[in-house]
Amino acid sequence: MNGIIAAARAYLAVSLRERVTLFWFLIFPVFLFVILALIFSSTGKQGKMNFKIAVVNEEKATVAGPDFAAIVVHTFDSLSTAPSGQEPLFTLLRPHPGETTAAFRARADAALNRERITAVVVIPPGFNGAMVARLRASYATPTPIKVIVNNSSEASRVAAGIIAGVISGIDREVLIRAGQYVPSDETKPVTEWTGKNKHAVSYASFLLPGVILMAFFTSGLFGVPGTILYSRDRHILQRYFVTPFTPLRYLLGFSIGQLGLCLLQFALLYVIGRFWLGAQVNFGRPGAILFLVLGFFTFLAFGFLVAALAKTGDGGMAIGNLLNIPLIFLGGLFFPVGNLPLALKVVVFANPVTYIAAGLRMSLGLGGEGMPLVASIAVPIAWIGICSLIAARRISWGVQ
Amino acid sequence: MQPDRGTADLVGGTVMSALITLIRTEAVRFARDKQALILMFIFPLVFIIIFGFLMKGSSTPRLGVVVAGSAAPTVQAVLAPMSDLHVIDYPNRSALIHAVEKGQADFGLYLDGDVLHFVYNPTQVQNNPQFMQIAAGITTQYNLARQRVTPIVRAEKVVVGKNPGGWLNLVVPGIIAFSILTAGLTGISGHLTMMKERRLLDRFVATPMRPTMLLVAIGAVRAVMAYIASLITLITAIGLLHLHFAVNWWQFTVFVLAATVGSMALGTIIALFVRRPASAGNIANILAMVMMFFSGVYFPVELMPGYLRTLAMFLPLTYMVNGMQVVTGVSAMGAARFWTITAALFGTGAILFPVLAHYVVQPERR
Repeated sequence: MNGIIAAARAYLAVSLRERVTLFWFLIFPVFLFVILALIFSSTGKQGKMNFKIAVVNEEKATVAGPDFAAIVVHTFDSLSTAPSGQEPLFTLLRPHPGETTAAFRARADAALNRERITAVVVIPPGFNGAMVARLRASYATPTPIKVIVNNSSEASRVAAGIIAGVISGIDREVLIRAGQYVPSDETKPVTEWTGKNKHAVSYASFLLPGVILMAFFTSGLFGVPGTILYSRDRHILQRYFVTPFTPLRYLLGFSIGQLGLCLLQFALLYVIGRFWLGAQVNFGRPGAILFLVLGFFTFLAFGFLVAALAKTGDGGMAIGNLLNIPLIFLGGLFFPVGNLPLALKVVVFANPVTYIAAGLRMSLGLGGEGMPLVASIAVPIAWIGICSLIAARRISWGVQ
Repeated sequence: MQPDRGTADLVGGTVMSALITLIRTEAVRFARDKQALILMFIFPLVFIIIFGFLMKGSSTPRLGVVVAGSAAPTVQAVLAPMSDLHVIDYPNRSALIHAVEKGQADFGLYLDGDVLHFVYNPTQVQNNPQFMQIAAGITTQYNLARQRVTPIVRAEKVVVGKNPGGWLNLVVPGIIAFSILTAGLTGISGHLTMMKERRLLDRFVATPMRPTMLLVAIGAVRAVMAYIASLITLITAIGLLHLHFAVNWWQFTVFVLAATVGSMALGTIIALFVRRPASAGNIANILAMVMMFFSGVYFPVELMPGYLRTLAMFLPLTYMVNGMQVVTGVSAMGAARFWTITAALFGTGAILFPVLAHYVVQPERR
């Protein structure tokens, strides 16, 4: 028993001492988690996004009466300032002193084409008159404000939606002031959520189980064959096995060490997710514990399979590299995998990550309802059996 | 003493033939390096095939609706002109909720009396803000229609630009740029440190060849391979995913070469400080991975928080991605800016190679 514990401690100590292992197994999952959470948590939220736009007022405010064009300009102008610590929604490209409207429009169009700004809002000539006419005759068509966007830019697409919302707000305000619209008669929409929990999920909460499984998977896929094969290549295993220490005891110790590494990964990601990024995930549920344990054993067995198939440490890493990205992304850890062609669906359904990810999410109330519970448990167990069988028959402890 | 013309020709000829031999050797070595081949040729293909099929068709939001009751005509009138939305009808609320849960519809709408109920899937965390924005627009139009008021002002969207293909068209050039960076960084740093470790550099410096020649040979082979890999990736994207690119082949060729040379110069810096090939490969991989997240390969830089946008400005991959999008015709950029980026990438290599060659290609310290 002491030998097994010593092997486990040795594996854990080497993993933590090796800078590369430390990076890929501990720092990289944390880095990925934090970065994705920072990027996607801010998407679509005012105060965390900023769009460079130009508002070109082509209306000449000489007609007597209300200057609606100026109201539109003022609205966008007010959205280009923000309380300290927040980003304003818009940064406005402004006309140079003495620049004509036509020259400013040309400059704004050129900037949009070159993606220096995300949208150009054009208030057309005759806007004020059209607005007054529209207010007097409710059957008239709405007065258009052109929102020019660039299809080469995702930011431009997002900005178009936000600008449309701002214009819609202006429309509502003008109608209320003109007495044509009664805000108290509005119906408020009701928001409903699907799933067991019936509430919204923060991006950090959604991501955390996926990143934890990714960390378990990569440490199984690379850590297990890497340690076994490089130890074999460097004759370290031979030295072990001239002592009374048997391969079975080595594997037991190694697996306990791997469990320690996974527990460390879990603890680190959970603490960062819970206390920094605000993830609300209850891993204490029996179902969640079951799938975490199942995930650990499946990926450990998967690592043994790679160790059995590869002849050298470098070969093992090459196999790992080939499998890593397809199995992670086609396992639904980060993106839904429902709408794939048949050839890729075969990979999805053969992939143990798919079942463990679906099972874990289902047990946490974060989706995964598409997968039958029996399959989520049976398929990974089948993988453990197959991998262990192949590894037991093929794994070689001597240098090849 | 100046050599006469004949001697100079002879020396020049010898140097040239030695360089050709070096290039040939490097080409053979590259063809045998499975890791490098996977990194340069297989990885970009795997990425675009997986991402291509995962993301295909996700650009138009799918709204599942159940419209019944007295307010149904109003809702139908509101939804009819919304061409940016794919509306799918469902017979009842439970069918709608089932569809949203299974991802057959992105979000849902049903009526309870005259109240609009919007149904979202909590696992669509990345897209729900966009769906909620659309829902807000529908609600505004619905409320106006209920009070028999037509809007007095509306946003008229006009689309310009060179990319009718959507997000995926922008990602493919990004993946090509990332592959060039990774191949340049890992290739040259890993190769040079391997030569260091096997003491091949000791033998090289004993020959009359200048250190720069070795880097030129490695660079030439890598540049050609990067070009071929980029072409294969582009052709796969066009053939398999039916994407459209208006490639400016002249600019494409120049830019791929410049990007490869620039990336290799950065790889040479790694080789300067690292002695083991494995360490060099790992540092290069880590650097490439970090840059990938902040350079707009997958996530638009403009949608990131301010401090990440600032960080992106300092990363060479950001400019490589932008340049690659321009030469593949999915994005536009001023000619001066494009050629400045190209020249900067090429210049980085042209300046760093001779300088670093002196320090990198030298006998191993003992």
